[in-house]
Amino acid sequence: MSNIIEIKNVTYNYTEDDIEYTAVDDVSLNIEKGSFTVILGHNGSGKSTLAKMMNGLNKPTSGEILVDGMSTANEETELLIKRKVGMVFQNPDNQLVASIVEEDVAFGPENLGLEPKVIRERVDEALKSVGMYEFKDSTPHHLSGGQKQRIAIAGMIAMKLECLILDEPTAMLDPKGRAEIVNTVLRLNKENGMTVVLITHYMEEAENADRVLVMNDGKFIADGTPKEIFKNVALLKSVGLDVPQTTELLYELNNNGIKVPTDVLSIEETAKVIGAFLEEK
Amino acid sequence: MLKDITFGQYFDSKSVIHKADPRVKIVLLIFIIVFIFLAKNFWGLGLSALFILITMLVSKIPLKMYFKNLKAILPILIFTSVINVFYGEGEPLFTIFGKLDVTVGGLERAGFMALRIMLLIIASSTLTYATTPNDLTDAIESLLSPLRFIGLKTAVHTLAMMMTIALRFIPTLVEEAEKIMNAQKARGADLESGNLKEKIKALIPILIPLLFSAVRRAAELADAMECRCYNSGEGKTRMKQLKLHFRDFSITLITLIFGTGVILFNIFM
Amino acid sequence: MSVLEVKGLSHTYGGNTPFYSDAVSDVSFTVEQGEMIGIIGHTGSGKSTLVQHLNGILKPTSGEIFIDGENIWERPKEIRKIRSKVGLVFQYPEYQLFEETVYADIAFGPKNMGLSGDELKKRVLDTCRLIGVKDEYLQKSPFDLSGGEKRRVAIAGVMAMRPQIIVFDEPTAGLDPKGRQDIIKIINDYRTATNATVIIISHSMEDMAVMADKLLVLSKGEVVMFSETANVFSQGDKLRSIGLNVPIVTRVFDALREQGYDLPNDVFTVDRAVEVLKQIKAGDRNA
Repeated sequence: MSNIIEIKNVTYNYTEDDIEYTAVDDVSLNIEKGSFTVILGHNGSGKSTLAKMMNGLNKPTSGEILVDGMSTANEETELLIKRKVGMVFQNPDNQLVASIVEEDVAFGPENLGLEPKVIRERVDEALKSVGMYEFKDSTPHHLSGGQKQRIAIAGMIAMKLECLILDEPTAMLDPKGRAEIVNTVLRLNKENGMTVVLITHYMEEAENADRVLVMNDGKFIADGTPKEIFKNVALLKSVGLDVPQTTELLYELNNNGIKVPTDVLSIEETAKVIGAFLEEK
Repeated sequence: MLKDITFGQYFDSKSVIHKADPRVKIVLLIFIIVFIFLAKNFWGLGLSALFILITMLVSKIPLKMYFKNLKAILPILIFTSVINVFYGEGEPLFTIFGKLDVTVGGLERAGFMALRIMLLIIASSTLTYATTPNDLTDAIESLLSPLRFIGLKTAVHTLAMMMTIALRFIPTLVEEAEKIMNAQKARGADLESGNLKEKIKALIPILIPLLFSAVRRAAELADAMECRCYNSGEGKTRMKQLKLHFRDFSITLITLIFGTGVILFNIFM
Repeated sequence: MSVLEVKGLSHTYGGNTPFYSDAVSDVSFTVEQGEMIGIIGHTGSGKSTLVQHLNGILKPTSGEIFIDGENIWERPKEIRKIRSKVGLVFQYPEYQLFEETVYADIAFGPKNMGLSGDELKKRVLDTCRLIGVKDEYLQKSPFDLSGGEKRRVAIAGVMAMRPQIIVFDEPTAGLDPKGRQDIIKIINDYRTATNATVIIISHSMEDMAVMADKLLVLSKGEVVMFSETANVFSQGDKLRSIGLNVPIVTRVFDALREQGYDLPNDVFTVDRAVEVLKQIKAGDRNA
């Protein structure tokens, strides 16, 4: 399968108070078309900086990022890249432009200079695909955080992107809003074939990913399928990641001499694993 | 409450005035204001009053909403009337304070001025009650669009974008201001008592966080807009096209008939 | 005498703002000195509205609030005094920082209470020591700190007023795990040092299971339950009926019990779960 994004030996430095810091340190990564990739990391691990480089919002200090073969360093292809790779940010309030939902979703397609009729179709379709069509005439200010975040996603879909990067989209949401976003993103990937890169510090949001990377101090320190990554609870905890309580329980059981596998996440699976232990006796 | 200003003045009573093209509404309001000023006598002003009364009824907006706006300008209304009472000419009816003459002409003049101001306020209120802030923004952008012929295209677009963003963020920032205010009150800040200087000083703990927040929001919004291919309006199209309907021509015609009436009264009465 | 008593508290928002459904109606509960109370409920269930009444930021539409037996609205002019008794830490409190230095920001609250000179200085420094604001930060601008540190300073600003009741509205929202643990530790440290009563709004049943003595469950502005944490979490169906749930570990144990395993129904924390399973294992070996 071909790659939508190729990150080649990318480093990002920034200066603050005359001291130079390295946020992303010689990172390489390919994002396959149609894949669902999750990048886990705590605040300040460099994951957001990396995300912003993937569609050219930030430019690497060294190294290169190619989107569908186009370098993000090339100013001429800047708009083309943003038409292919979109981003959703953490704070739902600060990415909506218009005070009516459908007008906000139309903002991207309008910037692309599409025909009014085409925009209308795309807006309706995008709103339906995130389950917000019935709110098309509402004011974003009156919606919940999860709903606002879905509008932001719709605004991206309406541009007919190939790849959507979400930078901690659930960090400011309540549990209900978090579930809404995770389900929406998963559906976009599985049903619409959208390439998704989800950046988060909640491990359970990585459960359905094709590939999970763990970032710490500007580098990837683990890379694999969710099961492979989740097995290594000690590593995840050591880099300050959020471990779901099921994983925590299995991990603590192992620490206390009860040997159970730790690569399961759901409540049912965890119950099954503990059930198996209870059967053994 | 601060929140009241945030929803604009829009009152959704779904009348024909609500449905009319916002550009037409703005232009007609300007017409109406001009005609009200042109009316020289009570006949003309009376016709204006009748016309505005009809628009009030057609708009289906509750009368108390209009009274709310009138109440807000009551001091100005009283002030203008009182001043005008003493500027009348002719036989004084009576004299107060020994030297201020109150004449029939003065009373008439005061009444005339008061009625005129009231009509102006009601006419403008009808526009803001019956048009969403978004529609107003679109209409202003559209009405200003001829300026592009004198090289002001970007300026018009920028102005419209600013108004759109302002509409979007005013409620957010107002809510935030309230939250910060409450948070500082919880830390024992005294926002109510003290003299003017102390009151202004007490605003610092609110204004500084609000400013920081606005700057942070602006930076994030800029990133988000860039991700949505915003390019200073280059080649931008619009999903919603403003279109003139039959009703827009009808209300324009009615307004013009009213205007003609005012002019005729001015000439013949 | 109870340290806090809320009697028939109702608050409705102005008629022309239909969007604020966060009203509360006829809420009553009492809190004893030193208790840790968790408030749980959906977004919009009235949690934030309720806590803003406790220090007189909002005035009840009807009902009364007693602090140490005193009706806080007895003398409305003196409502500001109540704010040094009941501290309220809002959501994302770091957004209320405004002073030039961390020291000055933490001193804002105690200064408003009338502290000055050495007393003020001692209060600020004591608070910093208590909750781990580093000395080298004191002369820095609060805006130069990291997100987690900003929140710590903002919380210090309320704790420096030494409230006997301190209320937190989702104190760990938006933080990563390390930041969350830090904040939970601060709250515990303050409680240990001052024996204060603590009230926390939270979405995390897992955190509440570890921290709270009692839970106040709100739905649509009304109190659904007010009881010991264990008691609340043993009524999973009732919680689920209002869109809440029990801690994940409890759900695992519920699933196991459904499958017929003989397990206790008081498992709400990982520690307790491990303890139970270890006992089973040990018992097994003994048998």
